[in-house]
Amino acid sequence: MVSEYNPGTARSLSRLIDELNRLPGIGPKSAQRIADHVIRLPGEEARSLADAILEARDSLVFCDQCRNLTDASPCEICSNPQRNRDQICVVEERRDLVALERTRSYRGLYHVLHGVLSPLNGVGPEDIHLPQLFDRLHESDSPFQELIVATNPTLEGDATADFINRRLAGSGIRITRLARGLPVGGSLEFADETTLSRALAGRSALD
Amino acid sequence: MTTPRTYRALGVTLRRSPVREADLLSVIYTREHGKLEMLARGAQRLTSKLMGHLEPLTLVRVSIARGRSMDQVTEAEVVDAFPAVKSGYENSARGLYVAELVDGFSALSAANAELFDLAVQTLEALGTARSADLTLRYFDLQLLRLSGFMPELYNCVECGVDLEPDRHRFAVGAGGALCPDCGPPDVVVRPLSLPALKLLRLLHRTETVGALPELSVPPPLEREVRETLAATLQYWLDRRVRSQEFLEIAKFA
Repeated sequence: MVSEYNPGTARSLSRLIDELNRLPGIGPKSAQRIADHVIRLPGEEARSLADAILEARDSLVFCDQCRNLTDASPCEICSNPQRNRDQICVVEERRDLVALERTRSYRGLYHVLHGVLSPLNGVGPEDIHLPQLFDRLHESDSPFQELIVATNPTLEGDATADFINRRLAGSGIRITRLARGLPVGGSLEFADETTLSRALAGRSALD
Repeated sequence: MTTPRTYRALGVTLRRSPVREADLLSVIYTREHGKLEMLARGAQRLTSKLMGHLEPLTLVRVSIARGRSMDQVTEAEVVDAFPAVKSGYENSARGLYVAELVDGFSALSAANAELFDLAVQTLEALGTARSADLTLRYFDLQLLRLSGFMPELYNCVECGVDLEPDRHRFAVGAGGALCPDCGPPDVVVRPLSLPALKLLRLLHRTETVGALPELSVPPPLEREVRETLAATLQYWLDRRVRSQEFLEIAKFA
């Protein structure tokens, strides 16, 4: 059946547009543009795209340890003996792990929550991978020395950090939070007062 | 006369959600125009001049440009970030409870300056040493009053007779307190103790949250009043108050 939103469009193309339109951030116009691009691809490239979607969908699993998405558990980072096993960094999303890995400044392990505590959206501790984090810390053979909470500096990210901190009080693990302040290329004039006051509080000596 | 292309407003940010690559959909309850839904272009970028200004539970002065489908925030300046409300999970959950209820009980572009003042004063009070539970119960009852859903606390809601001490019950669906002789069909009637009725009346009579007396409310009484008001809020909202259960989680975190 041809979609009522795509009049005069072939059934197969209409189906592609409808499927693309279901993706986050893709509106009807964008879906049409992407569909037009896809159908003009050489057959081999189009098949490669379809295969990549199916392969990712079918082969990805959660890493038993860090809960990152991986082809095989444990993931590359968790099974790498070169990583520092004293440190664990808690991030909201897989994308945040990628951003931190790009810095090449951190060599410890990760834990991906796949969300953040959000009362307004009804997301509680059991809805994200927080219980798995507490189990992991509890069951670990070699206890972590430091847990870095790298959730976003938002109301929900801060609330999640506070929740973790309170749950791990007395565990002996040093809990730290990423520093906050002014971004590179930012402007003092436009900074909000919370960011500015945190930047002041976290000022450091010029070496 | 043509409508100006831009306008300004003072408002409390209630929530925001990411849209497109780096934009935010921001919902702000303003004093002048009531609840507004606006697009903040690029506000997710670290270097955006809007970043940080549109975090939930922030009092902001915003400049807004009228758009064809949706208005856009062009400037935002923090007036009060309520840092004490954002310090810790429990405080944040209380603040978000206020935001969720203001959001739920207001319609787009329907100004209610008294409701705006109540929200700001409640967020200010949550950052002080005042009892947070009593502050929230004051907010609950005054929110119902300002939204036109104030439960009757002095006369029987059915026959209008003055309620005598200890001879009363409460029915959310009937609109408040009932005398022992009245029992409208199809409504759930619940008991309400005399101290709970007195506390509700005190919350009703008190003009501002700052004027609330310092009371030591026994936990069972606090729970009874909280549950009565929660049932009333849920009845009129027609859904559960999501942040309510987070307040419970926070107490045991």
